[in-house]
Amino acid sequence: MDYGARGAVGRHDKERYVTAKLWWMMHKDLASEWRARRVWPAMLLLGIVVALMFAVQMGLSPEQKQETVGSLLWLAIFFAGMLAMDRSFVAEREEGCWEGLLSYPVSPTAVYFAKLAVNAIALAAIQCVLIPLFVALSDVPLLERPWAMLAVAVLGNVGIAAIGTLLSGLAAGIRHGANLSVLLVLPLVIPVVLGAAEATRLGMEETLDAAWWRWCQLLGAFAVVFTTAGAVLFDFVVED
Amino acid sequence: MTEPNIAIQLRGLSKRFGRQEVLRDVHLDIPAGASVALTGANGAGKTTLLRCMASVLRPTAGEVRWFGRSAWRNPDARRLIGTVAHQSGLYPHLTLRENLVFAARMCDVPKPLRRADELLSSLGLQASADRTPAEVSQGMRQRVALARGLIHDPAILFLDEPFSGLDVAGTQWLCGLLDELHALERTVCFAVHDPDMVRRLADTVLELRSGRVEHHDVAALKPDAQAREDANLSLAGASGFNGLRCAGCGRAA
Repeated sequence: MDYGARGAVGRHDKERYVTAKLWWMMHKDLASEWRARRVWPAMLLLGIVVALMFAVQMGLSPEQKQETVGSLLWLAIFFAGMLAMDRSFVAEREEGCWEGLLSYPVSPTAVYFAKLAVNAIALAAIQCVLIPLFVALSDVPLLERPWAMLAVAVLGNVGIAAIGTLLSGLAAGIRHGANLSVLLVLPLVIPVVLGAAEATRLGMEETLDAAWWRWCQLLGAFAVVFTTAGAVLFDFVVED
Repeated sequence: MTEPNIAIQLRGLSKRFGRQEVLRDVHLDIPAGASVALTGANGAGKTTLLRCMASVLRPTAGEVRWFGRSAWRNPDARRLIGTVAHQSGLYPHLTLRENLVFAARMCDVPKPLRRADELLSSLGLQASADRTPAEVSQGMRQRVALARGLIHDPAILFLDEPFSGLDVAGTQWLCGLLDELHALERTVCFAVHDPDMVRRLADTVLELRSGRVEHHDVAALKPDAQAREDANLSLAGASGFNGLRCAGCGRAA
């Protein structure tokens, strides 16, 4: 039997397989989290506590709330998201699943994109809860321009998820690394959180000016750079 | 230059962890269809060598080839191998069936659900198919872990101490399975401590000492050349596992 030729796959087949594998890796992670409910409830609870404290505890004027809501919203999204991003690799290391995944005919880049997509979905879920909650509890006009908020949410989401996925993967290979990942991610993600907070604040003003566009461009640039860096570097990250 | 009947080729393989050199300049040619036992004391580097051979661990130096194809980060070539590590590699929140279906999908096996059910039936685990790994015994988990490694009918199988945690019946079952793989001319490399298992199952023994591999013909280790034949006769078909061949798994050929 010519085993040497057995691993060969046509280009068309390869693309089809990669897409299907991406979906099945995401499906596996989402199904596991749905059944275990280890991270998402804690993540949502953290976000809700921040929204409640902002609405009830702080006693800010409407103008002050509008000035500060962006920062608090994005800090809550980032820290709640870190819970999910940490867990995505720690769970994989249990029972030797990570080694099993690496032994399948699937590239580390595909694994990275699957994890990135699941983490982006986790961040989107928290955004879907937190943004309406901030609006309802604090009466801030976050949804005054829904498309503008959507653009900022998507760009910020991809930027945070891209760098969080890469560095959580790196930290998961280190003993007790899960505790380190926030420290690793935080310095790199500051521009994204800062940009998203500013774009959120400017999006609530009467007119969308050039400053809003500039922050969105910055967010877009970070999303592209971090996603590309993650795809390129993840091959090295998965090594022991 | 690679001969086509060489399943695994190692050239100048070395692995270092910090200052500790676990493998030193290992050169090996393992022919297709060989049954190779890796032996050595605890910490000798058996698992490291297996992980490097399976290309899960990047060697510090040297190269691994499977049937002449470079192994490192070559997803296509990974269709040639199956691995069963120390831990089961089963996702704790997926059922046994879902774990096998996921593995089949990752290995591009056509009709993954049917293939998973075939294997579960062969293992006698159909009734436990919808249980999670935590809800079944260690022996059952071990069987499913083996099925996971075999789901795409790989040409090469790497097993890291596959007998640990198995009772007598499980051990007999696994011996039967390895005999079937041998009969199907699959190349099997397994790390093992038990000399009886080496005599029963291996035709080549690689002993690791101080990071170097010493190569033995198993006949030299046997007190009685008839031993393997006797053992094979007594264990033939003992696994009752008739699901090794995967229709369409060679489709990528």
